[in-house]
Amino acid sequence: MSDLSHVDRYPEIPVSLLASRGVLRTGEWRNMRPVARERRAPCSDACPAAVPVPRYLHLLAQGRLREAYETFTLRNPFPAITGRVCPHFCEAACNRDPYDGPLSIRALERYLGDAAAGLGLVGPEGETGKSVAVVGSGPAGLAAAYYLRRSGHRVVVYEKREKPGGLLRYGIPEYRLPEAVVDAEVARLGALGIEFRTGVALGPGMSLEALKEAHDAVVVATGAWEGRPMGMEGESLLEAGLEYLEQVARGHHTLPGRRCAVIGGGNTAMDVARVLRRLGGEVTVLYRRTAAEMPAIPEEVAAAARDGVRFEFLSLPRAAAKEAGALRLTVERMRLGEPDASGRARPEPTGETVDLEFDAVFKAVGERADLAPFPDAMRQEPGGWLAVGSDGSTADGAVFVAGDLATGPATVVEAIARGRRAADAVSARLGGGYDLPAWAAEESPDVVAPVEVNHAYFSRRARVEPSEVPPADRVGGILGEETAGIAAADALAEIERCFSCGYCNQCGTCFVFCPDAAITWDDGPVFDYDYCKGCGICSVECPGHVLLFVRERDDG
Amino acid sequence: MKWDIPLGEEIHPGNLGCQGCGGALAMRLALKALGPDTVAVIPACCWSIIDGAFPVHALKVPVFHTAFETAAVAASGIKAAKDVQGKATTVIAWAGDGGTFDIGIQALSGAAERNEDIIYACYDNEAYMNTGIQRSSSTPSGTWTTTTPDERPESRPKKNIMEIMAAHRIPYAATCTPAYPDDMLRKFRKAKSIKGTRFLHILSVCPPGWKMPSDRAIEVMRLAVQSRVFPLYEVEDGLAYTMSLWPTEPVPPEDYFRVQGRFRPLFEDPARLERIKAFVDQQWEILVRRHRRTHPDEAGIPAGEAAAR
Repeated sequence: MSDLSHVDRYPEIPVSLLASRGVLRTGEWRNMRPVARERRAPCSDACPAAVPVPRYLHLLAQGRLREAYETFTLRNPFPAITGRVCPHFCEAACNRDPYDGPLSIRALERYLGDAAAGLGLVGPEGETGKSVAVVGSGPAGLAAAYYLRRSGHRVVVYEKREKPGGLLRYGIPEYRLPEAVVDAEVARLGALGIEFRTGVALGPGMSLEALKEAHDAVVVATGAWEGRPMGMEGESLLEAGLEYLEQVARGHHTLPGRRCAVIGGGNTAMDVARVLRRLGGEVTVLYRRTAAEMPAIPEEVAAAARDGVRFEFLSLPRAAAKEAGALRLTVERMRLGEPDASGRARPEPTGETVDLEFDAVFKAVGERADLAPFPDAMRQEPGGWLAVGSDGSTADGAVFVAGDLATGPATVVEAIARGRRAADAVSARLGGGYDLPAWAAEESPDVVAPVEVNHAYFSRRARVEPSEVPPADRVGGILGEETAGIAAADALAEIERCFSCGYCNQCGTCFVFCPDAAITWDDGPVFDYDYCKGCGICSVECPGHVLLFVRERDDG
Repeated sequence: MKWDIPLGEEIHPGNLGCQGCGGALAMRLALKALGPDTVAVIPACCWSIIDGAFPVHALKVPVFHTAFETAAVAASGIKAAKDVQGKATTVIAWAGDGGTFDIGIQALSGAAERNEDIIYACYDNEAYMNTGIQRSSSTPSGTWTTTTPDERPESRPKKNIMEIMAAHRIPYAATCTPAYPDDMLRKFRKAKSIKGTRFLHILSVCPPGWKMPSDRAIEVMRLAVQSRVFPLYEVEDGLAYTMSLWPTEPVPPEDYFRVQGRFRPLFEDPARLERIKAFVDQQWEILVRRHRRTHPDEAGIPAGEAAAR
């Protein structure tokens, strides 16, 4: 070895031993900052019941079924029901629609409802000592009963028919909503202590006054069951569609004639037509406008056509007459005119008529509520419609209304939303209530727009469509449930399609892309504002745009 | 967390990179793959500054600052010393495009030719950004820099550093970008597992130098890949080419250029823009051909690529 002693005379290499953390506070450079701010997804916004879709789907994807169910049922207690019959306003509003088709939200909702079959609903935390009567046990009545009970009130549900369920049991055919699903929901409510008294109707035997005396408040949700008169000649020869559905629901599977006509373009008309078809009828739907204006759920219209139901559009029956054991229907051909108040093209008469022959003709042109039990003081004018606030309140402080009785014929989900709002209004008056989780207490009214979603994180993929049960395999025979639930793997794959608009589903994209290691991860981003330089990457990249980028001084 | 990215950091917060710095993000991600038993050798480049001025530094792993032209040789020496000590420490030379394409290419070529057991990563922001946006041999054609002003934008195409490195027949060379973190981490992990000279070419956004807002930093790197301006691929032993990502939806190169002020001259010279687009297509086709030669039986090539090329 040569002499290395000269090495000692060299200066030492300078070594940095101080970490930049605590020294270089690069956060001082910043004039904008990212903030996590959850906002409303368009699906939730379009849902009358405001179900927080991305939130419950995320819980479901994580296998947290109970939390998913409890999150859902904070807004709608019956996912197994709406998951089958809802017209899914959510899907029409879905930000994914223009990208590659909306999320299959209704199928996922049914998946949740079916998966949660063994779970109970959240019950009351304490008793208020107050008692509330609910009259009617359709979707509005059952929802009102649930949220009243959850709020701590004693609840008695009065039902005119022999079993609770109302329209759900007696108006929606088995192939769309099996009775067993309704039974299960009623049983869940019974398990919370809700009392059902069946075979009692509002009227001479049980007046509104008597209910007010026996209870601290009354919620009336008796629905809309009365057929609306068409004002046509021979109208008494026609059968009422909804009554026929009720008769079939009670087990009388009789076809009143081979050649059947159904007048109307709504969901009742489709239900009647499809039931008749299943029972072997040749069915023609007569509708005064065209397919585009039909108020029925589009899937039901398409399914009716698949079933072999014929459609005669621009056809308005003007007269019916008995002729040699058959019914002769005189139908006027219509044409479309200017849009009416509903925004749909108005049907205008052409004067041209045809005679069609049927064995039975069903009327399904809309229903109205029976207002006889209500005094004039509760109406907008003597003999007129009820005066109802958006929360179901009426001129009588102790009486609230919900469902079709409050809104006119609407959808199951609107009835459920009305039921919940009426229940909450009752609690606001009587005391009691239920705790809201933080997200529900501080929900933003801001809706996430389609352009705010970062599509880079979503590859185009067709949505999962529920399949049809082959007719031979349907539980309950020819009227048995038609649509199959989706499999767990399909549900998880479909949830991955969710943009999660405005809801942090803990994807971690913000964390991954921070050039400054200024985000730590604790099941969600934690910003270290001492070091965040405010580059804005996390906000732009956030797939569902939960991270907003705000001016340093504007941030509240 | 949907990403398979380690939560632990080998970098402290408080680095001196500009807002939206692709180089800072690239280092953060690379070290997540390489782990704490790593030594970084940094020649003159942005990262000389980003790491912090003496006595402060942002990385948790040791950093050896060295002269502009010496990253590869200094890394080789440190690796040799580690070998003598019997340590398996990963040694990475971390240089900008100036220190790689221009000033450091002699040392890099020498190390590659000797197949030194180092990882050489070039975070490429396509100019001398740190000294004030002067052009380098990595600056693409049609680009504005302070030395190639609007009236005389860069006229030569970007030097193809990957072909130069592949020509050394080193065991592994790959392109990556922090806009595709899973791909980038996979390549750094793979590089770590291989012995010999490994070269990683990282397209690395520079918002001030590229004249664009910092919040679009990830988007612009993603557009570079989707528009095929910067294809992601690997080269093994200098010959075996494998494409890492087939862009699914066609993105015209203009979409990538338009986000950046530095490409403004391109939009005033349609003929040049067309030539550059043709060049992008041609470079892409060369890579696809090489991929197909390496993988003659592969079914994974998208139908359009297989038919058109």
